[in-house]
Amino acid sequence: MMGALRTLSDRLLGRGSAALTVPPLDGALKPNNRLEDAAPGIPAGAPRALVVQGGRVLWAEGTQVMSDSGPVAETAGMITALAVMPDGQLAIAAEGQGIAIGGTVPPALAGLSCVTALACDASGALWIAVGSTVHPFADWSRDFLELRRSGRVLRWTPGSAPRVMADRLGFPNGLLPRADGMVVSEAWAKRLIRLDDSGRLTQLMEDLPGYPAGLAPSAGGGAWLALFAPRSPLLELVLREPAYRRAMMAEVDPEFWIAPALRSGYSFHEPMQGGALKSMGILKPWAPTRSSGLVVELDAGFVPLQSLHSRAGGQRHGITSVLETGGVLWAASTGGNEVLRLDPARGRG
Amino acid sequence: MARAGTLARLRYRFIPDHVIGEILSKKWIDNAIPFLVLVVVIAAFGMLLPNFFSAGNLSMTGRQLGEFALVCLAMMTVIIVGGIDLSVGSNFALGNFTALALLNLAGWPVWAAIPATVLVCGSVGLVNGLLIGFLRLRAFLTTLVTLIIVRAIVDMLLLKYAQAMSMSFFDDPFWDLVGMGDVLGLPFSFAVLVVVALVGHILITRSRPGWRAMAIGGSRRSAHNIGLPVRGIVCSAYTISGMLCGLAGVLYAARLSGAGSDTGMGLEIMALTAAVLGGNSLGGGRGSVVKALIGAVIVLVMTNGVLRLGLNSGSGPMVLGLTLLFAVFIDVRWLKNRDKLLNKVYVSPTLVEMPEPRSTSEGAFAVNDRLADVEIIGLGEIESPEDVILDEDDILYTGTRHGDIVRFFPPDYKRHEVFAHVGGSPLGMSFDRDKNLVVCIGGMGLYKVAPDGTVSKMTDETNRSPLSVVDDSRLRLADDCDITPDGKVYFSEATVRYEMHDWPVDALESRGNGRIICHDPATGKTHTVVRKLVFPNGVCTARDGQSVLFAESWGCRINRLWVSGPKAGKVEVVVDRLPGYPDNINRASDGTYWCAIMGMRSPALDVALRMPGFRRRMSRRIAPDQWLYPNLNIGCVIRFNDQGEVLESLWDRGAKNHPMITSMREHKGWLYLGGITNNRIGRVRLKDADPTWSAWSDYWGKRA
Repeated sequence: MMGALRTLSDRLLGRGSAALTVPPLDGALKPNNRLEDAAPGIPAGAPRALVVQGGRVLWAEGTQVMSDSGPVAETAGMITALAVMPDGQLAIAAEGQGIAIGGTVPPALAGLSCVTALACDASGALWIAVGSTVHPFADWSRDFLELRRSGRVLRWTPGSAPRVMADRLGFPNGLLPRADGMVVSEAWAKRLIRLDDSGRLTQLMEDLPGYPAGLAPSAGGGAWLALFAPRSPLLELVLREPAYRRAMMAEVDPEFWIAPALRSGYSFHEPMQGGALKSMGILKPWAPTRSSGLVVELDAGFVPLQSLHSRAGGQRHGITSVLETGGVLWAASTGGNEVLRLDPARGRG
Repeated sequence: MARAGTLARLRYRFIPDHVIGEILSKKWIDNAIPFLVLVVVIAAFGMLLPNFFSAGNLSMTGRQLGEFALVCLAMMTVIIVGGIDLSVGSNFALGNFTALALLNLAGWPVWAAIPATVLVCGSVGLVNGLLIGFLRLRAFLTTLVTLIIVRAIVDMLLLKYAQAMSMSFFDDPFWDLVGMGDVLGLPFSFAVLVVVALVGHILITRSRPGWRAMAIGGSRRSAHNIGLPVRGIVCSAYTISGMLCGLAGVLYAARLSGAGSDTGMGLEIMALTAAVLGGNSLGGGRGSVVKALIGAVIVLVMTNGVLRLGLNSGSGPMVLGLTLLFAVFIDVRWLKNRDKLLNKVYVSPTLVEMPEPRSTSEGAFAVNDRLADVEIIGLGEIESPEDVILDEDDILYTGTRHGDIVRFFPPDYKRHEVFAHVGGSPLGMSFDRDKNLVVCIGGMGLYKVAPDGTVSKMTDETNRSPLSVVDDSRLRLADDCDITPDGKVYFSEATVRYEMHDWPVDALESRGNGRIICHDPATGKTHTVVRKLVFPNGVCTARDGQSVLFAESWGCRINRLWVSGPKAGKVEVVVDRLPGYPDNINRASDGTYWCAIMGMRSPALDVALRMPGFRRRMSRRIAPDQWLYPNLNIGCVIRFNDQGEVLESLWDRGAKNHPMITSMREHKGWLYLGGITNNRIGRVRLKDADPTWSAWSDYWGKRA
């Protein structure tokens, strides 16, 4: 009873759970232009899912697996996640195709859709992050606007059925194997969680300033985290407006929804927020934006160490995947159509 | 496109939400709570007491009120200047005694005794005023001392003269009239009160001394700093207070013809309660005659009522005390929260169902790069060139956000100078027959700049609408103007509810807050022609000379207003379903018209326009920087004809130079572009345009 009253008064006054504040970019997350100023990368069509196989960095571009020297493999569906198995074989998750390992699809993994990330743990088992069991991968912004919590994390060992380690998750979007369990980035919940082998869930980071995507180990023993789009008070408001969301989803083209975006500023049909009004020929870099580029380095205790940004009006937006190998930080800018090679050490204090 | 429900449509059509905010923004709303208390008190005692509304009781109460309210007015006068007068009670007693003594003992005639009494009491006020105003003593202590001393003097005089006074009896018809008689059916003292209150109200709200007194009460130091004679005004406030007490004392004397030591005892507390209860702020600077009167009625009805209810002797002051506590509490809370409440409720979006926009992927609106190779003028040298205009000598004029009219000189437009400084935000411009530049100034009104650069005001007000709550006689946001062949200036005022820089809030509301106004320089008269337009913006006299084209920005349409001929006064739509928000309209050389489209509609916003509740919550919950705006980062220029056909559009696809185009002007084969958020003017060569055409010749004939 008190709880219901509290919710009601919160909603009336915009307090508590109804508050629309988003966390500030502060401390190690202080904005900079390191992504935007980085040297030109490899042009790519909406790249995602970076992996390193035998010292060579691969990524997904549509239906193809690419490297810097050209296509490596091709599937029938859009590739959404890649991983390298302990035996060196490539696991490819593609929409409508399930997960192919070394070119063959185990029957247990054939029916999977909306696979957002793959990773192998120390025992060699394959962990599978399924963003949504309701919508296909391409409809992720609808999944977001419908406030879905239908994601799950599966663990599969060859020759068995996948085991559900956690379900009812808000779009698990990245996996990182650690000694004490699998770290999962949960996009709509804006948090990092850890699942141990028994499926017990521990929250590692909460209230992230953006929607998290790919995770990768860092050379320093911590982790790299890509946040594919920024949060904003307008998004928080829209999430609390069911009638408006319904009408918008029914009438408006999905790319012009008020929803996180991988890129923005290319069409005048996009929703614009007040602070983004150009003045005297300048778009303020701190203007509210639908998309941005943000990569954060975390230490072993998941405390942010440094961050790389591409802010409002920039090009390197929508970073969905990161990878550190051989002293180079690779980042896939899905919105900016570019695979970036960055210096990971510059911001380390 | 989906439609809103009938119920929602009716609700937003007939329930005027915006009026609540407008009422709350009025000064007189301060009286709402005291007035409510007044109604409750009268209703309560009217029910509790028999004969409350009988003629006898009302007449009696009216007489008492005449005296008591004068004392309350006395208290209010000093409270307004930030002081307090505790000596009103003793002064009242002194007035009562003086009047009786002069008439009964000294045998003065009434016409001499009354002014003399008023003067005696006024001199007590003057002493207060001199001590507080000039010697800067504390008002509370000083008047407390006067309270004691005057009371002592009255007591001593009573001791000496009371017996003599009670022996004699003064008989005079006028004196009886003052005490018992009626004027125009009103008890005499009540009639006096009405006169005093009217004069006082006019003095305080509409005269220089009244405004100065308010200013001093609001901030004595600031009033001093701007050069007001603070001391003199404070002193005269106390003097007036004393004189009002004297007048009240005379009325009391005439009614009761008796002086006792308890006359006016505790009156200062009652008067203070009444003044504060009515909403006069003890801090000063906020008060009115009406507030004092409301307070006086409440206190009088309550004290009399408690007395007549026969409660025990302590209960009267107890009720009074509790009421005072309640009044102070409400006063503080109200002052603190009124603006917060106003902020919350003022913005009231309305339901707008936008028609499906015309396509921008094909047809006349197809996006192109025709503005890509624009020639830049004055980059970084001007800010906010909302409108641009050229004269017959090819000199380019534009307004800036610094309130200047800047002009650039041909042939290369590199050299510029400030032509005139007007102030405000210069927006739309037009040349009249005598080559005067007529300019709409946001925040100021309609101004004229002569060819030699002298600035004169044409108008800054129009007729007030009878039913508008906000005072819409002042021009807040004159936006664009044009002149008809008979010399009348038609101009748009975008909104009457917001100041210029709050235009995004008006966009959020999307209500018909704007209007088209006509100013006739021949007569100097200004009147509103059309009301309830959705952000009327660009104005252009049509070729026929009988009508004016104007754009309704948030309505995404261009209308025609007939100003003469058979259809005079009618408004009809010329172009609708625009994919963007139209701004200024100007003539093109081939008989058509240019219109600037300042920004484009986004489908997500169109949906929100149908959902006023969503927009209202957005305005309350998130910062304006985060609001969903019309997309003003890209626009275009369109050309349309009298039939409303859109012929072509010119785009700057990447919006590199001209993100928000608010105006364009064709001149001798070039099209000049201005933008209110820009820091440059652009010009682009028009291929098929007449290279000799200029707007002034088109309007006013060939060069004389």
